[in-house]
Amino acid sequence: MVSSEGNKRRATAWIAVMVAAMALALGLAACGGGGGGASDSGETTVAEGGEAKGELTISNWPGYIDPGKDGTVAQYEKDSGVKVQYIEDVNDNNSFFGKLQPQLDQGESGGRSVFVLTDWMAQQMNELGYLQELDRGDLSTVFETMTPNLENPSFDPGRKYSIPWQSGMTGIWVDTSKAPEIKSVNDLFDPKYKGKVTFLEEMRDSAALVMKGEGVDPVGASDADWEKAIEKIKSAADSGQIRRFTGNDYTEDLTAGNIVAAVGWSGDASIIENPNAEWRMPTEGCILWSDNMVIPVGAPNTAAALDWMNFVYQPEVAAGLTEYITYVSPVSGVQELVKPELAKDPLVFPSEDFQKNCSTQESPPDVDAVSEAWANALTG
Amino acid sequence: MRSWKQRLVPYWLLGPGLLWLLFFFVVPMYFMGELALYSGSLTTGGFEFTWAWNNFPDALSGHTEQIVRSIFYAGTATLLCLLIGYPLAYAIAFRSGRYKALLLFAVIAPFFTTYLIRTIAWKTILSDDSPVVSVLQTLSLTPGDGRVLATSGAVIAGLTYNFLPFMILPLYANLERLDLRLVEAAKDLYSSPRTAFLKVTLPLTMPGIVAGVLLTFIPAFGDYINAQLLGGTGQAMIGNVIQSLYLSQRDYPEAAALSFLMMALILAIVLAYIRFAGTEAFMGDEDEEAT
Amino acid sequence: MSAPARAWAWLRRNALPIYAGLAVAYMLIPIAVIAIFSFGETPKGKLTFALDHGFTTEYWRTMFSIPELNDALTTSLRLAFFATLISTAIGTAMAIALVRHRFHGKRLANLLIVIPMATPEVVIGASLLSMFIYYSFALGFTTLLIAHVMFSISFVVVVVRSRLIGFDRNLEEAAADLGASPLTTFRTVTLPLLAPGIVSAALLAFALSIDDFVISNFNSGTTVTFPLYVYGVSLRGIPIQVNAIATLLFLIAVVAVGLVLFQQRRAEKMAAVQPEPEGGPIPLPSTAAAQ
Repeated sequence: MVSSEGNKRRATAWIAVMVAAMALALGLAACGGGGGGASDSGETTVAEGGEAKGELTISNWPGYIDPGKDGTVAQYEKDSGVKVQYIEDVNDNNSFFGKLQPQLDQGESGGRSVFVLTDWMAQQMNELGYLQELDRGDLSTVFETMTPNLENPSFDPGRKYSIPWQSGMTGIWVDTSKAPEIKSVNDLFDPKYKGKVTFLEEMRDSAALVMKGEGVDPVGASDADWEKAIEKIKSAADSGQIRRFTGNDYTEDLTAGNIVAAVGWSGDASIIENPNAEWRMPTEGCILWSDNMVIPVGAPNTAAALDWMNFVYQPEVAAGLTEYITYVSPVSGVQELVKPELAKDPLVFPSEDFQKNCSTQESPPDVDAVSEAWANALTG
Repeated sequence: MRSWKQRLVPYWLLGPGLLWLLFFFVVPMYFMGELALYSGSLTTGGFEFTWAWNNFPDALSGHTEQIVRSIFYAGTATLLCLLIGYPLAYAIAFRSGRYKALLLFAVIAPFFTTYLIRTIAWKTILSDDSPVVSVLQTLSLTPGDGRVLATSGAVIAGLTYNFLPFMILPLYANLERLDLRLVEAAKDLYSSPRTAFLKVTLPLTMPGIVAGVLLTFIPAFGDYINAQLLGGTGQAMIGNVIQSLYLSQRDYPEAAALSFLMMALILAIVLAYIRFAGTEAFMGDEDEEAT
Repeated sequence: MSAPARAWAWLRRNALPIYAGLAVAYMLIPIAVIAIFSFGETPKGKLTFALDHGFTTEYWRTMFSIPELNDALTTSLRLAFFATLISTAIGTAMAIALVRHRFHGKRLANLLIVIPMATPEVVIGASLLSMFIYYSFALGFTTLLIAHVMFSISFVVVVVRSRLIGFDRNLEEAAADLGASPLTTFRTVTLPLLAPGIVSAALLAFALSIDDFVISNFNSGTTVTFPLYVYGVSLRGIPIQVNAIATLLFLIAVVAVGLVLFQQRRAEKMAAVQPEPEGGPIPLPSTAAAQ
């Protein structure tokens, strides 16, 4: 063993090193900036219009555009001369937000000029001052052809910062060869389907649907209502009734035959390779949501962004898009332009009657507290 | 006596690396610790430093279930890795002849196909309708509900598979140094192969075993991919919680507190081991004396 | 001896190699699955792990037809290249210092190198993120590079170090006796013999970088690497080209390792450094000359 002299020397050396490290760290901390937070809410900038040229970078959800040489992006590039970089990196509203938040806080957009975000996230970003305002004057085609029911949503009256990209409905996907009798979200709690159903990770879909199943309207629901629904879901998760919470990947489980039913989105037929799978409108109604195009602060090419929005609101372009992705288009006049079978599909062109029991997607009053309860339910 | 210039050489050599590790490993740990003392949220006006010591016990108490579960999963996976890996490492070290390098490569080969893809491959191999699962069902090896995916078993299987190389390589490095003549000597003294193994081989390879266990258990403990892809609602590990807190809920203070506690736990384990065996032993070589 | 007894005896003798074969097969199962399914025709070009539709080489032929996939792959390759370059250089220098030189603080250096290897990725990723958030440092390629170099250094050090330890100093002494300066000796004797070790370390660093998901997920901002791309598309349908590319990466790795081994054989024919011959770890000069 080493002598005690050596030990003492060693100990002092250790202590010296520790102190030096702490000093270094504190020194670094002193000359650094502060943590994240809301940016100074000064004025909201208005996105500048003008001639569309140069490069345009768009962030969108995966599978939300018709790809390839004849796709919408290619068409736009030919039409306008703008070079488009189309990135499918919005997998989840929260994680996308988390990834970009430090930059947005500094007024940077990470090089993107357009994001596509669900209603509530667009609202959240706007409240934090991360979005630019849109001038109606620059968006003539958009406001000419937008379907009337989308013109004045509660979260963005007059559409000052968001323009719908596509809409959809949250309902229940059912494998009709295994569980044809499922008609309501409450059926998903039936023990005979234990371990064979999945719910969405998005609380504004799953918990809201469960609330509807209990007869509570998500619009105007209290925190207590939300938490009650979350409790119900949590017990089902803990008992193994609910197999998993999913993002878009419930489609995989359906295709693989791992589940008989899933809370899921209406337009995903093109992804699910299970001929027996069918999207059903729950008896208590569905949840209606939209994903919206927004222009973030620091967007490098706002002129092209606005031009792109006008472009995709042209009925012929919108029709091509709808034919591929089979979600609900925000552009009127599309129904006449698509293939006849698609025009009759109530999932793509839902009538008022079809949607009569549906509710729009809402956030709870105390978002943080309810989100925390929800996160606890998810991580079991 | 070496010239002073010569004596500086090691410092020059070490400098860049140590500085890099210092700035990008040690210092971030400090920041994580500091972040853990903040409170607030992104949506309500940002975070502020408030000496929020309560974040630490809050984080612990709110997630004890996941912590315990992670220890159980990682522990079981490590044990399995040891049982599977030790004979393999032994075979590679002593019975592989010309194929030694090839076998070693086969062990790390999975690294070359993205972690995600190979875990997704397992997800398919183990899906409810797959032939593999049907075979397991007839052999009554599946848990109650008759499926393998979305159960603890699947997560542990995934962890075992993905961390097997971390166990095998240290074991192999240590086994390679084993002087087989000692084993021969034991046999010459009339011991059975089993006794020779237990009394000679095993104790001599213990440092390798411990190194392997540490290098497997600790990363497995913090893993979240296996739980996310192969597990279901009841299989969330502490890694999933941290990831969710950072990236979904953006509750940075709680996330940082939890990560910091995890790091402290790991540091304690590693330091205890090093105290016991010396830092050289951790690197697989117990003969050199530290200065 | 009767036939069954002989068979049983053969089994017992070869139990270990047989087991090794099985274990290695287990390690390669997902890779085989991935490769097989890269040849399966599917109507929508998305991975379904079902072989109902027949065999096709379409996805191999159109391997680079998806722009996002290509971008992600290019990013990953660039990242891995630079990260490997930097970490191998830094790590090799550190290894040399640790093995060949005496200096104060060796224990501390060892500690600093060893701990990152044992830290769960989620903690490394999260703490780096904490620091970058604190400084409002934009996340992207640079932050990824910093992170990748950081976690590779330790592994490079361990690999090069173990090669250095087995090094026969006699050769260097011989060169010195023949009048070569330390630098010349290093250049013409040490470095070439060390080369296989350095290359192995570089390969390992490269593999770690290409494969990394967790740390990248936390620190990439909006940059997309190959694993991050796979994660993104895994939620909505993996294009089969991903399987083809994964298999290709694996094959490239096989070839690269094969080349390294070949080089190593050649290098060892010229030197006294060699892996332990079967039966004992002590390299005897006479056996070396006989090789």
